[in-house]
Amino acid sequence: VRARGSEALAVTPLTETGWLDPSGALVAAVAIGFGFGWCLERGGLGSAPKLAGQFYLTDLTVFKVMFSALVTAMIGAYWLDRLGLLALDLVYLPETFALPQAVGGALFGIGFLVAGLCPGTSCVAAATGRRDGFGVVIGMLIGVALFNATFSWLEPLYSATNWGAVRLTDLVGVPAGVGVASVTALALAGFAVAGRLERRPR
Amino acid sequence: VKSLHAALAVVAVLLAAAAGAADILSPRESVPARAPRSTAFISAPDLAERIMRRDVALRVFDVRPAEAYARFHIPTAAHAEAADLAATTLAPPAAVVLYGDDRKALADAVRAVGSKRGVEVRVLREGLSEWLGRVHEPRLAVDPTPAERAEFERAAPMSRFFGGVPLAGVPRADVPTGYWTGAPRSEELLAAAALESVASIRRRGC
Repeated sequence: VRARGSEALAVTPLTETGWLDPSGALVAAVAIGFGFGWCLERGGLGSAPKLAGQFYLTDLTVFKVMFSALVTAMIGAYWLDRLGLLALDLVYLPETFALPQAVGGALFGIGFLVAGLCPGTSCVAAATGRRDGFGVVIGMLIGVALFNATFSWLEPLYSATNWGAVRLTDLVGVPAGVGVASVTALALAGFAVAGRLERRPR
Repeated sequence: VKSLHAALAVVAVLLAAAAGAADILSPRESVPARAPRSTAFISAPDLAERIMRRDVALRVFDVRPAEAYARFHIPTAAHAEAADLAATTLAPPAAVVLYGDDRKALADAVRAVGSKRGVEVRVLREGLSEWLGRVHEPRLAVDPTPAERAEFERAAPMSRFFGGVPLAGVPRADVPTGYWTGAPRSEELLAAAALESVASIRRRGC
């Protein structure tokens, strides 16, 4: 049972507990954005061939970087909440819209494969002067404009299959900690398989 | 680098295994996911207008501590905490407006009321400070812009209706600010501003 005392200890999320006002949150967002971009660039994720290697199973850096980030955040969020330093119930959980998100995911994958870059890495590539990065950023902006222009037509799909704010552990019916352990095990197994695929002779 | 990766993997495995064991050996109450919809706000003048026309669907709740409520509160507002709100029956269609000076208390209250069917929940964005600055005690600077003058002219009758005192020609520094002037403030500043305004109203003796 969540201890009452731990509620009083919780200091994060900073914007929800009042430690950071809206203008401070904007400054923090810019700083985190730069930090994220720097990490992506240093991780080599500003290079389209490296990212496209993901789809040919020749270079699984994206999978490893993203899954590492996910596992780190998941374990950190779990333990910070458990120790009363993070009020997890105040963290915004986006709603799941199963069908439009599946369609969007497929479209995203096609765009990723064709362009060799995703939205974040295209900004990183553009910031480092790569012309393909600029091309993808412009294409992305055109896509955003098209989406807005055709939104009334797309709206039925956009709002379909609203499952609400659901978590994987709620769907499966296991405690959060068991979910953390399972996803971590899955990640480590995935890293081992990724390493073997990258090392196989071609 | 390989040994660093191996060490980090070991740390991750230990923490993940401990997480699984901790939740099995010492189960916790499942924390409900935060309400997915974004918070809907109402401005102080819009709230005042609804109170003045005696909107029967409107219910206003003050989620600040009881002492703060006793010192001053928005007319028609009832004091409540999240637990009270969860137990309160609200006949639909009800339009609930919440205000307070603590985001967590407000989030809990929004969740408690938002789970009821047929109930529309809105939050007075900058709470009592906004009410005092825009409705109860509006101020017009000595060098007003047309928009400021229009807002003051809209607020002055409301202020008198609620027993406040609208003042024109004050130094610009005395004009209340907030998100409506493009200067949203932190909870601490809002609470302090509200406390100062309430103190001056009480000194005036209503």
